[in-house]
Amino acid sequence: MRKALFYIPLALFLGLSLFLLSGLFSDPRERDSAIIDRPLPSFSLPDLQDPSKSWTPDALKGQTFLLNVWGVWCPTCNAELSYMTQLRNEQGIRIIGLYYVLPEDPMFGQVFDLPTLQQEVATKLQQNGDPYQFNILDQQRRLSLDLGVSGAPEHFIVDANGIVRAHHIGDINPQVWRSKLAPIYQQWAAKP
Amino acid sequence: MQPRRKKRLLSMLLVISLIAGAVGAMLFALQQNINLFYTPGQLIQGLGEGKIKPDIGQRLRLGGMVVPGTVQRDADSLKVRFDLTDDSGEIATVEFEGILPDLFREGQGIVAQGELRSATVLAATEVLAKHDEEYMPPEVAEALKGIRHVPPSQQPAASNANYGG
Amino acid sequence: MIAEYGQLALTFAFALSLLLALVPLAGSFTANERALLLAKPLSVGMFVFTLLAFMALAWSFYHDDFTVINVATNSSSILPWYYKLTAVWGSHEGSMLLWVMMLAGWTALVAQYSKALPLLMQGRILGIMGLINIGFIAFSLFMSNPFERSLPFYPVQGSDLNPLLQDFGMIIHPPLLYLGYVGFAVSFAFAIAALIGGKFDSTWARWARPWTLAAWMFLTLGIMLGSWWAYNELGWGGWWFWDPVENASLMPWLVGTALIHSLAVTEKRGTFKSWTVLLALGAFSLSLLGAFLVRSGVLVSVHSFASDPDRGIFLLIFLLIVIGGSLLLYASRMNSVRSQARYQLFSREVMLWSNNVFLLTATLVVLLGTLFPLVHKELGLGSISIGEPFFNQMFYYLTIPFALLLGLGPWVRWKQQKAAPLLKPMSLLAIATLTVALGTLSLLQSVVANLALLGLLLGAWVGLSALSEIYQRLDQFGSVKAGFSKLQASHYGMTMAHIGFAVLVIGVAMTKTYSVERDVRMAIGDKVVLADYEFELQDVYRLNGPNYGGEAAEIDVRRTDGRYVTHLHAEKREYNIQRMVMTEAAVHARLSRDLYVSLGEALPGDAWAIRVYVKPFVRWIWLGGLLMALGALIALLDKRYRRQVPVRETADA
Repeated sequence: MRKALFYIPLALFLGLSLFLLSGLFSDPRERDSAIIDRPLPSFSLPDLQDPSKSWTPDALKGQTFLLNVWGVWCPTCNAELSYMTQLRNEQGIRIIGLYYVLPEDPMFGQVFDLPTLQQEVATKLQQNGDPYQFNILDQQRRLSLDLGVSGAPEHFIVDANGIVRAHHIGDINPQVWRSKLAPIYQQWAAKP
Repeated sequence: MQPRRKKRLLSMLLVISLIAGAVGAMLFALQQNINLFYTPGQLIQGLGEGKIKPDIGQRLRLGGMVVPGTVQRDADSLKVRFDLTDDSGEIATVEFEGILPDLFREGQGIVAQGELRSATVLAATEVLAKHDEEYMPPEVAEALKGIRHVPPSQQPAASNANYGG
Repeated sequence: MIAEYGQLALTFAFALSLLLALVPLAGSFTANERALLLAKPLSVGMFVFTLLAFMALAWSFYHDDFTVINVATNSSSILPWYYKLTAVWGSHEGSMLLWVMMLAGWTALVAQYSKALPLLMQGRILGIMGLINIGFIAFSLFMSNPFERSLPFYPVQGSDLNPLLQDFGMIIHPPLLYLGYVGFAVSFAFAIAALIGGKFDSTWARWARPWTLAAWMFLTLGIMLGSWWAYNELGWGGWWFWDPVENASLMPWLVGTALIHSLAVTEKRGTFKSWTVLLALGAFSLSLLGAFLVRSGVLVSVHSFASDPDRGIFLLIFLLIVIGGSLLLYASRMNSVRSQARYQLFSREVMLWSNNVFLLTATLVVLLGTLFPLVHKELGLGSISIGEPFFNQMFYYLTIPFALLLGLGPWVRWKQQKAAPLLKPMSLLAIATLTVALGTLSLLQSVVANLALLGLLLGAWVGLSALSEIYQRLDQFGSVKAGFSKLQASHYGMTMAHIGFAVLVIGVAMTKTYSVERDVRMAIGDKVVLADYEFELQDVYRLNGPNYGGEAAEIDVRRTDGRYVTHLHAEKREYNIQRMVMTEAAVHARLSRDLYVSLGEALPGDAWAIRVYVKPFVRWIWLGGLLMALGALIALLDKRYRRQVPVRETADA
């Protein structure tokens, strides 16, 4: 009886660590995405560097790709650029950027200015690496909203028929790519 | 029983009952102070599988995106009203009197804490805006407690997005 | 190259920590004297290398080496030099390196100042410290390396230090806090060494006491400074938020406080052994748990930079090894230890035992309130938050009996106390307490039965009791003058810390009761009257700072009878690059009250939302914390802790 008393702290701690462990694994960012296995929402948005060109879901079809929601204002997005560039160069992954424009804040005297943005993006991509085939400009954030984007960076795998197959919230690092995204990408890229 | 053993037993009993009482009181107080988190969609459609809706007068936290164009200020006081929405499209109204946080903006995700006044109206005692989503060391996170962190699980899907307009 | 040297130094430190954990510990079991003698040079060497690593990182920051990712994300070339240096611990990676350096620093200090300890004990303690060092150096080196480069692509300019960190309070708050957290590792190592050796005489308690006191002092200062900073910089006028990160620092503090008291019993009376050892393990375990909670992202962070679940898993495994292992060792070793000492129900032993019970209950409250949301969510019951009223309510109920006992405790003798001799001084004290509390209240406000009265009663009770107890003690030496130098420093320290607690209680109760807080809408020329003060908004104009814009408000404060009090200048700054808004509150501080004004948003119709507070006695809260830390410092100076130390030779590092 007396001996058992001394094991109480250990037992309490082990019980607590069970919760800590499950807390660690229930990634709060993991959510069921409503968009999976559904076609891309319809849109018609300009190309970031060449606004005269306009992109629609149909124009993207034909080959599986990784859609990356990002912005130069987001440090995590900038940090993952170099790894994604590596993915593009070494594994030939097709990556398309969906540029997320922050809401302009009149308090800071901000107005949307496309040439400045194009310049910023070009500089950033020059510094950190450019993984993108091209960038779609989502100035009104409507497509991002339809896709259920909650922040940046986020990633979608879209197959050759324009169906969304995976949604990843957060950055892509070697671990995430290998364990989570690469299998899905390969699976759909292999289909005719 | 020997007097010494009796004394020991008594003191043990005393300690155990004290601990039990303290833990009981604590759990009771805890129950009284739980603020469940709702999004506008959950508030209107109900939470979880049982579709439980909160009672009028219940204390809760409501998180969502401020619908642009709905912020109405009173002309000569600090009373303010605004609508919140989430990806369900449902809309709930927040009433508040006081100073809004520095990061309060239309189209931004916020969390309001207060009492439910009617099925879709929350009388808020506190409004918290989430700060940017970049990494911060814990000490800074601590420093920002006035503008508390909102864990992503408590954010509506559209918190960082904005309705076009 | 400097960053690579830093990396190299950290690797060397890692190797030394491995050696430190292996060689002396193994030597302690084989009674190998040469292995045991190695402990000291290894400890000092490890510290030197972590210091070098830290200096390398500081150098990279100072010279704007933006190829280092950590520098690029947390500094910029336009920062003043002192913020460049403090930006070293402005990020997770850098602050982890600071943590590691401090841990190694404590290890080296133990090695330097433990000559009085038997060689076997020395080797074991330093070996345990080495084990803990392994974990943290490995974490810093493999999981959050601050020296990582971003070659070949690197930015020409850094993304600047968070404006919130560009502040004096934030510069010294984390280092003090870490010194406290990590300092408990020393008490932990002492306890483990005692567990391994199976010897629990009062000597280990005497050795552990000064280290525990030092760690507790730093933790107290760190927490107090954090509270003061939040009050000044956040523009909310709050001084404690029951935020998970705050709670993580409060828990080791509460257990550390219990440990200090329990160590006294073990040292003086040789009893409470199993209890004291458990507290020593608990204080450091809770420091570790706190580090896990805030760094793994289980409770706080959102979209954390390169959010890597590996970090959390590493820390959790480390936690399991250190805490689980030590508790297992405790359970298997401690159940055969029995304390011989006898004591009656009314004795100082029981008084200190009750102190521990209340402090641990408080810890349980904080732990429960912090982790309950996590448990609730993991059980699938939905996301919740625990409201501040829970903590406030529980601490209210705990403080009353705690303070009552605290006033009585120091008067009670060891072993056994007859009630009769205490009746007279206690009733005199009670009368004095009533007089002081009611007198103060009737001078300040009207006397009503409220929290302020309760706080004043409890505070006066504790404070007056501490003062008269030390007077009575000094008087026993013949006269107060004669006794002044004879009484042990630790006794002065205790008295000082208890007075600090009294001051804190009074501060909290008075602030909570008599604070007047108003959020008002004001146009230029408007006046608002609050608790005998009249605030007049004179002007609001645009600000033009070097890297920020914003608005500033000029406010005049007068007494209601027209006497001029002060002029306040509050700002709302908008940092353009970081897109951050910072509220710079204006505070006019006096011991008896603070006037606090902060500027809110502009409202339609040329008016502004303005927050006006009058907070009586809020300074007493931090003054109380300061006095408690001062008490620990005084107790540290006690000659007893250094008596056995032979003449110190020059340190050979």
